[in-house]
Amino acid sequence: MSGPMADSRRRGLWSPGALLAGLALLAAPFLVAGFLGEGATFRMAAAAMICAEGYTPFVGAALGTWLLLGMAVLGARRVAGANGPLTALRNHGARLWILYLLLITPFLLAWATDSSACIRGKAFFWQSVFIETFILAILAASYNLMFGFSGVLSFGHAAFFGLGAYGVGLLMKHAGMDLVPAMVITIVASAVLGLMVSGIALRVHGLYFAIFTLAMAEILHLLAANRIFVDLTGAEDGFTFAVPDWINAASNRMTFYYLSLGLLILTFAVIYRLIYSPSGRVLAAVRDNEQRAQMLGFNTFTYKTLAIVLAGALGTMAGILRGLLNKGASPNVLGVGFTVDPLLMTIIGGTGTFDGPIVGAFLLRLAEQLLRDTVVSLGPWQVNIGERWALLLGVLFIASVLIFPKGIIGSLRFRSKLSASREDETM
Amino acid sequence: MLPRYRRSLLISLAFLGGLAALDLILFPAGQVGVILLSGLYQGMLFFLVAAGLSIVFGLLDVLNMAQGSFFMLGAYLGFAVYGALPEGTPVTWRFLAALVAATVGGGLLGALVERSLIRPLYARPIFQIVLTLGLATVANEIVRAIYGPAGLIPITPPAALDTTISVLGGRFETYRLFIIGMGATLMALTLLLLHRTRLGIIIRAGVEDREMVEALGVPIGRVFTLTFALGCAIAALGGITAAPYIGAYPAMGDAFLLNAIIVVVLGGMSSFEGTAVASILVGLARASAEQVSLEYLGSPLLATVSILLIMILVLLVRPSGLFGSETS
Repeated sequence: MSGPMADSRRRGLWSPGALLAGLALLAAPFLVAGFLGEGATFRMAAAAMICAEGYTPFVGAALGTWLLLGMAVLGARRVAGANGPLTALRNHGARLWILYLLLITPFLLAWATDSSACIRGKAFFWQSVFIETFILAILAASYNLMFGFSGVLSFGHAAFFGLGAYGVGLLMKHAGMDLVPAMVITIVASAVLGLMVSGIALRVHGLYFAIFTLAMAEILHLLAANRIFVDLTGAEDGFTFAVPDWINAASNRMTFYYLSLGLLILTFAVIYRLIYSPSGRVLAAVRDNEQRAQMLGFNTFTYKTLAIVLAGALGTMAGILRGLLNKGASPNVLGVGFTVDPLLMTIIGGTGTFDGPIVGAFLLRLAEQLLRDTVVSLGPWQVNIGERWALLLGVLFIASVLIFPKGIIGSLRFRSKLSASREDETM
Repeated sequence: MLPRYRRSLLISLAFLGGLAALDLILFPAGQVGVILLSGLYQGMLFFLVAAGLSIVFGLLDVLNMAQGSFFMLGAYLGFAVYGALPEGTPVTWRFLAALVAATVGGGLLGALVERSLIRPLYARPIFQIVLTLGLATVANEIVRAIYGPAGLIPITPPAALDTTISVLGGRFETYRLFIIGMGATLMALTLLLLHRTRLGIIIRAGVEDREMVEALGVPIGRVFTLTFALGCAIAALGGITAAPYIGAYPAMGDAFLLNAIIVVVLGGMSSFEGTAVASILVGLARASAEQVSLEYLGSPLLATVSILLIMILVLLVRPSGLFGSETS
């Protein structure tokens, strides 16, 4: 993946045409629903999509998105030259298909469960499952940026996640701030925390760094759960806060769905851009052999800082979304679970791959939801999968570390590389 | 041994003296006695988890995140044996049987885990930690599935261990004294094992230079298994020793694991002597901080947070810990 290949990949994602195609993909359902509905403005389009009865918006969105996708590809061909859009589609083909599926998922859910996408019901509930999945996927992808791409093992990623939920909640509730300034301040705070953490990475390495981050997250967890600050944080029970109406997941869940999906795409794009940039190459060198990277004259500390701060900020963004979704925060967002879960998702999906953590998050969260009430009889025992989910995860954890450490995506890629090299040999 | 550790020991003693003086200024004498004893008691429990963590890390370079689970499994195993013995058996015998069963069971389980799960991963150290993290989840969840999440009713220790005695005017449970005694005995035994037996010499040599020991023809694989089993056995014995006092519940190992990690880092990751001294220091510091925090804040918040902060400071200023060697 070097030389012209990497180059074309970079251009593939960032050519204006591909960007146009992406924007079209994002906007299409809104626009089409808008034409079919009453209003023509963007806001009205969203409202029409949420509130129109029947499945016309679904069919319309599907057709319209295809139309716009085709136009965008054609348009992109003219902008980026003959090679541009084709390369983009070849490199991101499967990803674009999945993105397209996710864009129409709220409608697919409504169709599959025969319930409305906007009133409380099955489809409405499943939208929230997908939102949670997106949030976990952002968290796992940000963890992977540290663990998989930069080789920094942290046991305290929950500190960033919790900072997001608590930060935005506390600022909005007690400081009376609006959503956007509260988010900005929280992200800035996470960058400061990230800088502190990476400052410590200068002195302690490897395992010691992991222990340090564990201690840091544990301190925040203890402070959040403590009764001394009960007026501020609600101690063990956590606290709730009011969010603006347009992002209130109880009423405007579809908006929240597209917002979190958009942020997931943004996370993917940021990480993709970073890893295929020259800095990303240095990060890979730091991961594989830090001393050699230093010998080559790179200030490895700077690059590690970049990875830690960026991963922290993305993790905080996931936390903010989580806080807004639940309209509250409780100490468990700072608990070890939100470090172990992204770690598990990363390993199962594929450490150091772009899609791995996202695939892992989807697999685990959706499987948990689907198997929740399944009862399996194992000999004399009746095992309820939902109740024993944590046990199942633990076994899966051990099995994946022992048997397929490359994860799903890593194993697939390895196999295709293997067969490619075999073909080369026979030729 | 002494000259090498003189500075570390002096620092530790100064710290202890300062702590005791602070307690004496803040609290009446009777309370200070109880604080110091409960500090020792906590320290011994930390030691029982940290001992295995320290030896295993020193020799095998594995940070066993499942060490707390062996603590918990020991308690449950002991309770099971205690309950399974026929009704007429005297309490003392049942109690001793529980201690022995937990130790042996913990050791065997540890050997099994090392052979089947840890061994394949020596080439990938980070994945070993990750694996033990998964192992801890599995152990906790299996116990939760069999015994339920609530925990068990504590077993009754022999009558002599079930009362209180007076210490400088305060009351102190004899069972906690038993825990202190047990911890001190195990500390002495492990030190003897490390310094006076062939296995101990091999372990210490392995901590210094594993490849050299291997080159001298020592079957290092078997030593690894034995060491891992030893660490797990000590933790399991610690679990069943603690359980009559603190109860047995699935998450009981987690809190001790965190404290044990703090202890091991403070003592110097691969120094067993350091772990022994640091566990007592951390126990005493925790007990004092807890008392101060309860007195002035109305909540034991300060205890864990201050210990964590001390650990972070030590990590920053002297990453090799109190007793660790400067190099590495």
